[in-house]
Amino acid sequence: MDTITQAGTLEAKLASIRAAAFTQVMLNATDIVGHPGGEAAAVAAVRSSGLRVTGFQVLRDFEGLSGHLHAYKVDIAKSMLKMCRALGSRVLLACSSSSAHASGEPEALKRDLQKLAMLALPLGIRVAYEALSWGRHVNLLTQAWEIVQDADRSNLGLCVDSYHAIANGGEIGAAKEIDPRKVFLVQLSDFLWQETRSPQDRMETARHYRVFPGEGVHSEQVVELVRILDGNGYRGDYSFEVFNDDYRQIPLATVAERARRSVKWITGRIGRRTLPASGYRATSNSRR
Amino acid sequence: MATPEPLPEPSNPIGIDGLEFVEYATSKPQEFGALLQKMGFAAVARHRSREVMLYRQGAMNLVVNSNDAAGATPVLSAMALRVRDAAFAHKHSLDLGAWDMPTRASAMELNIPGIHGVGESLIYFVDRYKDFSIYDVDFVFLNETNRNPPPLSGLHWFGVVQAIHNDRTADWRDFYENLFGFTELPRGQYFGVLPKGTLLESPCRKFYLQLIEPPPGSEEIHWEEGLVRVGLGAPDIPDATRALKERGIVFIDRGSVQPSDKGALTQVYLGGVTFELVVSHL
Repeated sequence: MDTITQAGTLEAKLASIRAAAFTQVMLNATDIVGHPGGEAAAVAAVRSSGLRVTGFQVLRDFEGLSGHLHAYKVDIAKSMLKMCRALGSRVLLACSSSSAHASGEPEALKRDLQKLAMLALPLGIRVAYEALSWGRHVNLLTQAWEIVQDADRSNLGLCVDSYHAIANGGEIGAAKEIDPRKVFLVQLSDFLWQETRSPQDRMETARHYRVFPGEGVHSEQVVELVRILDGNGYRGDYSFEVFNDDYRQIPLATVAERARRSVKWITGRIGRRTLPASGYRATSNSRR
Repeated sequence: MATPEPLPEPSNPIGIDGLEFVEYATSKPQEFGALLQKMGFAAVARHRSREVMLYRQGAMNLVVNSNDAAGATPVLSAMALRVRDAAFAHKHSLDLGAWDMPTRASAMELNIPGIHGVGESLIYFVDRYKDFSIYDVDFVFLNETNRNPPPLSGLHWFGVVQAIHNDRTADWRDFYENLFGFTELPRGQYFGVLPKGTLLESPCRKFYLQLIEPPPGSEEIHWEEGLVRVGLGAPDIPDATRALKERGIVFIDRGSVQPSDKGALTQVYLGGVTFELVVSHL
């Protein structure tokens, strides 16, 4: 589960996630720095929760900048990488830039992602690059995959987010072309509208109206995506990336229970042993 | 704004020309100094203002830093690369995503630039190593001491061994390859007595880095990433081991690492220091 789905304190989120028999948690930076006891208390809460950290999010608008904007973002990235390490997370999520100041020049994007990967490397962190469906230059899974291949760094891979893949016109099949070893994280969610027509529409929906797979109208596509990735040999982590305003005003245990139901729904549909059947835990890729 | 032409980098982008020195940190410099002397090194100079000693043997410089050293067990805390232009090497590395070293962490008074390496270690860049050395400024040479003690049995730097976590070989290969132009030697091309890990050759072909992941079945071993050992090259290993044994150095003589014509490994000293001998004509 992802801490962005629930309201409440970090400790309450971790406890409810654990109580629902999940074994991992995806952390959002605001949960850490917004902790009333400070960052160290947040790190201690995560470390003592017994939950493995799936990843840490999110570095925004990193690539394609130049001059002082680039230097500024490098500094931000360093701060996030340090937090990521402190939390014991092996994955930093970086989403494609939506900045109007960012270049879309492929060489520049490649160079910047290589630099981000290098910054993350000594810390033992892998960078999962995600195509936001409203990204300015990179908004398709295939584009992100092309850059990742081009950049060719061992600790640079993809985050496949079902929402973005579906919201941008259902390019689910593109996942077949992706080397499963370069998928560092898969985020699953569904949403309530049939269509999201404009980038603005996709952003609004993504940030407020996502639901767990099995609850929305695109769940068959979500299942299809999991089938493709699993069939390709992906054995890494899955996480629910569900931003939903309603879920943030109902009890945490109720939200976690909905997440559990979604796990059962998906595993029932997939029916594959390789998928995490209980606790939604990946069978491999738990590197350290 | 002019877009740079996407030309390939030179194979030795920062002009690496060997290892200038390695640095150990220890709060017990005298004990370690005694060990170094047995290994054939001689103390030649003392830092002007800090608790730092320079040891030498042949072409090898070894710095023992006790300034703010955390523990008694000597830890390999830095390696200094000889480069064409230290400022350029530093900037080049930062541009590619290396982390700048903390200010004033340097062993020297001179402004030697550096970056973070593996674990807590640093990588320095030194460009004054020909007519005029960094030691001429920062160090006071000891009286009546040969500033250039000859090597025992032709000992010289062969390389540095780096411990890494599981599945991290590709990452660290990327690090050394993309920042400095190291290349991986084909699998099976090993040196010495420890035939494992991955060997990276410096672009100047004057030394090697060896990356070692934890051995299989060692989940219980506490394994941290860091520089773990230097490798000393010698043209004739039996001759070198004999010379070192005479000085009181003990080599592991059991199992797979016993001395051979290819190499030898010393016992563990001072809670964690070993030296590896590797047959080499570098």
